[in-house]
Amino acid sequence: MLAPASKQSHDIEVLWWWMLGAAVVVFFGAVALLGMAWFRRGTRGLPLFGERESVPQAMVIGFGVVIPVVTLVVLFGVSDVYMVGQTSPPNPRSTAMTIDVIGHQWWWEIRYPATGAVTANEIHIPVDTRVNIVATTADVIHSLWVPPINRKIDMIPGYRNRLLFDADKLGVYRGQCAQFCGLQHAHMALKVFVQTPVAFRAWLQNMTKPADQPVTALQRAGEHVFMTSSCASCHTIGGTSAQGTVGPNLTHLATRTSLAADTIANTPSELAAWIRNPQAIKPGDRMPDLGLSRTAITALVAYLDGLH
Amino acid sequence: MSATRIVRPRKSVPNGIWGMALFLCAEVSLFGLLIGTYFYLDFIARSWPPYGIKAPSVVLPLVATAVLLATLVPIRFASRAARADRRGAAITAIAIALVIQGCYLALQILLFAHDLNQFSPQRSAYGSIYFTLLAVHHAHVLLGILLDLALIWMLATRGLTEYWKVGVRVLALYWYVVGGVAVFVVLTQLAPSL
Amino acid sequence: MATVVTPRGQEHVDRLERIWAPRPGLLGWLTTTDHKRIGILYFFTSLAFFGAGGVEALLIRTQLIGPNGHLLSPQAYDEVFTMHGITMIFLFVIPMTTGAFGNYLLPLMIGARDMAFPRMNALSYWVFLCSGIFMYAGLATGHAPNAGWFDYVPLASKTYDPGLNIDFYGFGLIFNGIASTAAAINFIVTIFKMRAPGMSLNRMPLFCYAFLAAAGALLFALPSLSLAALFLELDRQLGFQFFSSSRGGDALLWQNLFWIFGHPEVYIIILPAFGIATSIIPTFTHRRMVMYPLVALAEVMVAFLGFGVWAHHMFTVGLATITTVYFAGASLIIVIPSAIQIFSWIATILTGTPEFKTPLLFIVGFILYFILGGLSGITLAAIPFDQQVHDSYYVVAHFHFVIFGAAVYPILGGMYYWFPKLTGRMYNEWWGKASFWLTFIGTFVTFFPMHIVGIDGMPRRNYTYPADMGWTFLNMLESIGAYILTAGLVMIVVNLFVSYFRGPRAGNDPWEGDTLEWTTTSPPPPYNFPVIPTVTSPYALWDDKDREHDNRRLERGEGLLDAGHQTPASTVQDAELDEILSMPSYSAWPPITALTLSGLFAMLLLGHYFIAAGFVVLGLLALLAWHRNEADA
Repeated sequence: MLAPASKQSHDIEVLWWWMLGAAVVVFFGAVALLGMAWFRRGTRGLPLFGERESVPQAMVIGFGVVIPVVTLVVLFGVSDVYMVGQTSPPNPRSTAMTIDVIGHQWWWEIRYPATGAVTANEIHIPVDTRVNIVATTADVIHSLWVPPINRKIDMIPGYRNRLLFDADKLGVYRGQCAQFCGLQHAHMALKVFVQTPVAFRAWLQNMTKPADQPVTALQRAGEHVFMTSSCASCHTIGGTSAQGTVGPNLTHLATRTSLAADTIANTPSELAAWIRNPQAIKPGDRMPDLGLSRTAITALVAYLDGLH
Repeated sequence: MSATRIVRPRKSVPNGIWGMALFLCAEVSLFGLLIGTYFYLDFIARSWPPYGIKAPSVVLPLVATAVLLATLVPIRFASRAARADRRGAAITAIAIALVIQGCYLALQILLFAHDLNQFSPQRSAYGSIYFTLLAVHHAHVLLGILLDLALIWMLATRGLTEYWKVGVRVLALYWYVVGGVAVFVVLTQLAPSL
Repeated sequence: MATVVTPRGQEHVDRLERIWAPRPGLLGWLTTTDHKRIGILYFFTSLAFFGAGGVEALLIRTQLIGPNGHLLSPQAYDEVFTMHGITMIFLFVIPMTTGAFGNYLLPLMIGARDMAFPRMNALSYWVFLCSGIFMYAGLATGHAPNAGWFDYVPLASKTYDPGLNIDFYGFGLIFNGIASTAAAINFIVTIFKMRAPGMSLNRMPLFCYAFLAAAGALLFALPSLSLAALFLELDRQLGFQFFSSSRGGDALLWQNLFWIFGHPEVYIIILPAFGIATSIIPTFTHRRMVMYPLVALAEVMVAFLGFGVWAHHMFTVGLATITTVYFAGASLIIVIPSAIQIFSWIATILTGTPEFKTPLLFIVGFILYFILGGLSGITLAAIPFDQQVHDSYYVVAHFHFVIFGAAVYPILGGMYYWFPKLTGRMYNEWWGKASFWLTFIGTFVTFFPMHIVGIDGMPRRNYTYPADMGWTFLNMLESIGAYILTAGLVMIVVNLFVSYFRGPRAGNDPWEGDTLEWTTTSPPPPYNFPVIPTVTSPYALWDDKDREHDNRRLERGEGLLDAGHQTPASTVQDAELDEILSMPSYSAWPPITALTLSGLFAMLLLGHYFIAAGFVVLGLLALLAWHRNEADA
């Protein structure tokens, strides 16, 4: 939140600093009064005002009613009347594109309805573009939260909640599920790539293509392992017979920077470790130990590493 | 707590009635929330009742509610008889109310079973709230009937002491509120047909 | 000043002692209806649960002391953090404030000899104990509730949580709610009807106003939680569809019902703490509370307004903007009665001559942490900011400052304050102050950094966190703080424990307190007061004329009410004497009824519905037997 990459996050950050300033004044004001009480603990009444009861009474009304009313009206006006419009769901007609983000236990499905592109655990958006994020869930309540870009939005069964992504700084930003969703809630993160329009279009173009064919013999062996083990019953690889929808879409797995919802890096050794024993990395996750041999896993990794 | 040495009639409401009144505040809150849930689910539904479920028929539930409200008359009579030290009259009045309330409950159970044959609480939120609202209400009526029985027994065996005089008034308060709530419950139950 | 007993008065006192003599031994404790004994039972039981919740907290903090911790598996962690919340809220703070402090002190403060419904009071305790054991049976059998204390659906539904875990919670909540509802009814009737003649409403201690407000809120809020739990169990056990969106149900129905209870609950938690603070402050500052009537009004307003703000826990679910704006506005309005109270307390301390003994130190700590937690709460009413930090550690910081810093500190201060009254001995003041400072520092070090990691993006309820997020150092600090805090709390308990055996004797009124409990002996006799006190002002004990009058009445044998276990009932507003009531003394029916309820809920949990119905019948029979005997003479 303190490293904003959008106007919305930036405004929220500014609001925070003002509120913090006011809070510091109030808190240390109270500390000062209590400090004064300690120093003057032998004397009744107040300095200058003596023991007149009307003075502490005025204090209660002044500090307890008048100043709070004024301050809170200002706070309410700024944040709940003015600023709240900015973080409200965008009018779909005001946005340039729509992305569907579907929460699963414990990964993110990302769909670009206009082009049919499907990926997982990474959202790519062009910079300075109003994007309509439609947040839904396939199972329990999740919450999409990418602090540098905007507030969070809950994903609730039966509801299509919308959120505005309008990043103004290029870069890669981390988000995380922010509503307790079960055993691996702690390992349900994602990355948002804010790219130049050219780079974004190139990426999206690639995403709509079917999967790359295996080139080497090892990769062909890996493809065979994939299609004949239970991998294909859970995962989709575009253009092949693997059309499972329980786990993330793997069509362009090699283009991703991380695995298992940003839990581990996408390197061959990490991928191999994941396939060999997913429960050691994300205990309770839905991906079972497939009991594959080391050679099978090596082939599989080679195949998956070729899916650009 | 029985009172001893009352030198003049009490000015304030006895503790037992306060206790029942406060308990009933919680129960009214409960029914308010049940009814609120009904209309909340109604509000978010595309069609209410859902397709395939007929809107409830109006006549029998309304008649039944009227019968229940009618029992408030003997109940009130019992309360006044108790205050006037007329034990026999109080017992008789409660017994009359008890019989009619028993018939009411029996009828409601038959209607409930009939509804269960038409649609299920396990297939829709409509069914879930419909049957739960009614079941909670009927449970309160059953509790009232048990209170009737308990009170008749206590009056017969312990006599009309100060304690049990307050007891009859407490019973009456219970029925007034259950009767009142019954009106709201039946109106909610029949809302799609009204 | 305290009651002075002359030889003639002593005869009357001896007669009262005989009438009210406690039944000896364990049976005496099991069948007691004495509010003081019930208060003590509540105290030790909730203290034990505090210990359990504390262990759970230490497990959490030790797991999170570094990234990728391995102390707890995700399953275990989820059960531990859920039980921590459940235990602290339902099994510690509410029973401790209402059950222990409220039960013990309320009749004493209003000059009564017991609560309005002593047997129901006992029932509240036994049901509380049984419901706590019921929920912990889940933990003991490896099926502890594990979806967080808010238990959101669909995570808590049968589909995603098929074991018994959630059922221990759902049924446990309904079970526990019976205890709290009964207690709320008892408190309200006691406060309205059982005050000593002369203690009109405008002369009632602020402690009583706070408890009245909390009890009223409990009465209206609990049904929402019970209903939510009922719906959840109907869905889970019988396949109902309250929360399934595909069948017309709604996951948000749970959230709404839960928070309609949950928000008033936090005011129920803190109002008794306000009451304790408003008892301690006048005593140690030797002056009346500034603007007493306004403070009483503010206490009641907080309870009332607390019902209108629940959806501020739901700002991120996708509610219409106008709805969120209403709830944010309503939440800001509640700040005003809280601010009025805070500045009244500060003004009283400032203009009095405060003695910063241990109880007052805890109240000062309470004021500072209440302000801190209140300020973070105000920031959360700024909707866009809330939508950023909701469900992050910022919120964890906020509520721990208001629940621990603000609701628990007066409990700790109150334990020191009333220790001499309950035990007749004085605690050690040096260790008392040391325990305060250790606790105060520990609280700050544990919870303040949470604001920072929360703003930095750390979500709550995560069993671990990555090493490269920059959260490691602050988490370690928080964990160290937790150990410091634990040391402080242990020091308090040890101080009181040792002082119980070795502390110097304390008289009736070591503090020159302003409320009636200080007029009687330390510890109070079973009948509380030999004569029902005369009351003509809001600061009963500082009214020497009235206390002299009581002494003379004791000599003359007036106002003893010694024809049995007797106490007066008075009118609501002006407390004119209305009736002499006979109180029950011993009864086995409350614990027996609690046992039948335990059987009922255990059978419901296990799905044996016919046997459950059998327990209902037994429970009703127990109630019948209970009422066959009116109050004993």
